[in-house]
Amino acid sequence: MIQMHAFYAFLVVGGLLVLIFIYVAASTRHSREIDFHAAYAVRKKFFFVLLALILVGFGLTLGKMPYPQENQVPDKVVFVVGKQFSFGVSDSPITNDQEYEAATYAAPVELPVGALVEFRVTSFDVNHGFSVYSPNGDLLGQTQAMPGYVNRLRLRFTQPGRYNVFCLELCGMGHHRMRGVFYVK
Amino acid sequence: MHQSFLGLSATRGHAGSSLRKSVEPGKPPCTRLARLGFALCLVLGFAGCLQAQQSAGKPSDQPPNEDFYLYKQVPDITVQDKAGSTIQLSQIWRDKPVLLTMVFTRCTGVCSPFLNSLKSATSAAGGLGTDYRVLVLSFDPKDSIADMNGMAEDLGLKSNAAWIFGIASPPEIRRLAEATGIWFRWDASVQQYDHPAVVVAIEQGRVVRMLAGATVPVTGLMEVIQELRGKFVASYALPGKVAFRCFEYDPRSGHYTLDWGLLLMVLPATFAILATVWIFFLLPARKRIADSFPVARTY
Amino acid sequence: MELTTDVTNLWSEGDLNKFRRMTLIWGATVLLLLPILASLGYFMRMFQSNFFPHMRPEWFYAVLTLHSLGMVGTWFVGGMAGVSYLLTQYTHPSLAISKLNYWGTLVGVLLLVACTLGGLFGTGWYFLFPLPLYSQGVWQPWATVTFFVALAVLGLCWTIWTLDLLRAIAQRYSLKAALGLNYLLGKPGPDVPPLVLISTVSLIVSFAGFVAAVIVIVLFGVDALGYAIDPLLMKNLTFFFGHILVNITMYLGVAMVYELLPSYAGRPWKTNRVVAIAWDAVLFLILFAFFHHLYMDFAQPRWVQTFGQICSYFLAVPAGVVSIFGCLALVYASKMKWTLASVLFFLGIMGWGVGGIAAVIDSTVEVNFHFHNTLWVPAHFHTYYLMGVVLIILGFIDHLGLEVSKLQESPPRTKAIITLLLLGGYGFLSMFYWAGAHSIPRRYAVYPNELAQGTLYARVAFGFITVLLCGILLYLWETGKRCIKAFSA
Repeated sequence: MIQMHAFYAFLVVGGLLVLIFIYVAASTRHSREIDFHAAYAVRKKFFFVLLALILVGFGLTLGKMPYPQENQVPDKVVFVVGKQFSFGVSDSPITNDQEYEAATYAAPVELPVGALVEFRVTSFDVNHGFSVYSPNGDLLGQTQAMPGYVNRLRLRFTQPGRYNVFCLELCGMGHHRMRGVFYVK
Repeated sequence: MHQSFLGLSATRGHAGSSLRKSVEPGKPPCTRLARLGFALCLVLGFAGCLQAQQSAGKPSDQPPNEDFYLYKQVPDITVQDKAGSTIQLSQIWRDKPVLLTMVFTRCTGVCSPFLNSLKSATSAAGGLGTDYRVLVLSFDPKDSIADMNGMAEDLGLKSNAAWIFGIASPPEIRRLAEATGIWFRWDASVQQYDHPAVVVAIEQGRVVRMLAGATVPVTGLMEVIQELRGKFVASYALPGKVAFRCFEYDPRSGHYTLDWGLLLMVLPATFAILATVWIFFLLPARKRIADSFPVARTY
Repeated sequence: MELTTDVTNLWSEGDLNKFRRMTLIWGATVLLLLPILASLGYFMRMFQSNFFPHMRPEWFYAVLTLHSLGMVGTWFVGGMAGVSYLLTQYTHPSLAISKLNYWGTLVGVLLLVACTLGGLFGTGWYFLFPLPLYSQGVWQPWATVTFFVALAVLGLCWTIWTLDLLRAIAQRYSLKAALGLNYLLGKPGPDVPPLVLISTVSLIVSFAGFVAAVIVIVLFGVDALGYAIDPLLMKNLTFFFGHILVNITMYLGVAMVYELLPSYAGRPWKTNRVVAIAWDAVLFLILFAFFHHLYMDFAQPRWVQTFGQICSYFLAVPAGVVSIFGCLALVYASKMKWTLASVLFFLGIMGWGVGGIAAVIDSTVEVNFHFHNTLWVPAHFHTYYLMGVVLIILGFIDHLGLEVSKLQESPPRTKAIITLLLLGGYGFLSMFYWAGAHSIPRRYAVYPNELAQGTLYARVAFGFITVLLCGILLYLWETGKRCIKAFSA
């Protein structure tokens, strides 16, 4: 899970930084003159190390942007509309208030396991955050539900079960209870 | 970006936005103008729909809604082409993406202006033959290959390999029509088929876009072609009156272009530069104490 | 640090005393606001712990709005007051403008309190368009109007302050000198302390931020008149302004450390070519880093998202290689006088670094797909705020109080303060990080059943905040004594 990788990466690098601060603070117990040219030399090395890390970071991540890949045709489209305070999730288009209401009360959409699904996400009022949580409660991905725009999020689900949709953009007093659901079978 | 899908997309956009404006109880008391504006938009939107429908020659029926057919599998039917040889539809789409449309040769209404419009739009949009082909099928069981060839000849497309004119067996045509939302019914009173003018974009055997209307808009077609090329646009704006946007999708290049709204994004930095210049260079009576006295640091 | 020796040309003894007094008033106000605003955060974590099951969630969102705007505003004015005081060594900021800002900020804050706690206005600090206009009846139009009036008052005052400090710098330094271009080009020129360089960069950028805020407010008005506004444009402007305001506050703190830490370490920390390059790079990069707030807006072109990640990553270079490394080199094996103030400065820079690492991780588009608007976000900005610039400003207030009152500090109590702040602070933050890595959303009044572990993390955090508040109260006791003595001096 990428979240935990990020967490451990943060622990390691952050921990290293804290150790350096402790080391430097401890060094003041025995003060001495230091050669600033030596410090500059260390800084130069640090600069190149950091630069290399950044370039490696770009190499590892810039190609893996979560925006859908080219030359893919999804197997299914699901329409999502956010409105204070619920998500309408439906496999038929939601173009007006009645269809939105119907979608919020209808039986949850069922998606086939392994299918590439395109969510077409928009909002009828304010900004909402459309997020998909796996049956284990992991955040699999998200896109903003924004009035006036339709964002296309493509995900493939390998695990069958109940998937929850939560709102990830503060949208008012009912933000925390704004949700939707679909099943993967 | 989806404006191309004129009638329905426009209604959809307005449905969304009029809702946004009118339902709200907590909105400050300045909505009269807003309502007026939206009433105007709605009227214009309906006028747009009516026009689209009238030009399609079908005042009573709607063109198919693209949203219902997206990514649906297209049946792999057997097509008889201009030369009279049979070919599977899947062979055509596997080779290149396809723009599919259905007409009938006895049509006295929309068919030939529509095909003419499609012809000029495809040549203006580019990519025909290299990125995609056009498949024109007849849904009229009375149409023969000769009839279709005659139609191709009238349009000056007989020798154009990127245009395939063909027929198929009536049950297979019906299956294909159902899968793509192209409906047709015989109207005995006028001795004509009632049908919409629709272009269906098919990639890897799935419907990816549809364009409705007797006149094929060039920009709309460009968007469809970008999609057929596999260029993915992660978001599109719903049509609606917006003062200015930051970015506008340009279907010609397949890239986003900067729009007027972006000027507002540049304003803060511009003002900051102006203020800096004003303070450092233009403020009058500026006595720069400058280097007259060096600062004695205490460390 | 003795100020009087080198500013005789600039300040009469009386004027300088007045300015110092004003700075002490700012400091005391910040110290007063800190526990109040911190308790609002405490309240939010308690709410998320389900300690008030019968309270309406509207209260949570109203308190969230006040806590965030109040904290950002408090530390921004704290930073501005501190920097303008330190600038008195080199130039002549206006006392009248500082006073004007004091009253303006007070009015703005009172209006904010009225519309949030009085009117339940609850859109979060960023009042994302068009949420303020969609209250669902929770807050009335008067609250929305009051909120925008408060923003306008604060924005106007702070813009004037920003311009005045720039004016003061321009009195003594040319733009070329103030931006360190002499160092950059290797040309001879006047000595420019890092404080002046960093302040110049920060002030220019924050002016741009305020202009963006003005545009946002105007566009809200335009929308209310019935012209549809592009929500994506509004989001860009909002985050441009928000990102800059928060970052600038951090930089004001860093500028203070550049100025004050050398006197504790007994070594100089001067502008040189590398420092100049670093801060001029910040001036450019910071204008584009805000794009990382909009990664999940697929309507932004992909090249903008890529550019956002590149700028965000590269912002780590001047911060890490120049400022954080510089701080470490300054302290390393020096004759450091470890007092409450100097420890807070040192720890503040460390918090900036730790929070920065978490920020860079989250500014990766691929990671942000899973972290955006989870508790990872408040985790990282609380790290460089609470454990960064807040510690620095607390250090500055203590430094000033000590300088004026000459009241010596007690090492055991200093140790106790530091221990409580570190334990409470990082413990509280660890729950944010852990929850963020476990997909718990931010800004939830109550966690749904599927995310019930969020409640548990909130309860643990509640314990740590209790420790943190003890640290803050002990600090207030210690520093408050010095400030009161300084007033009577």
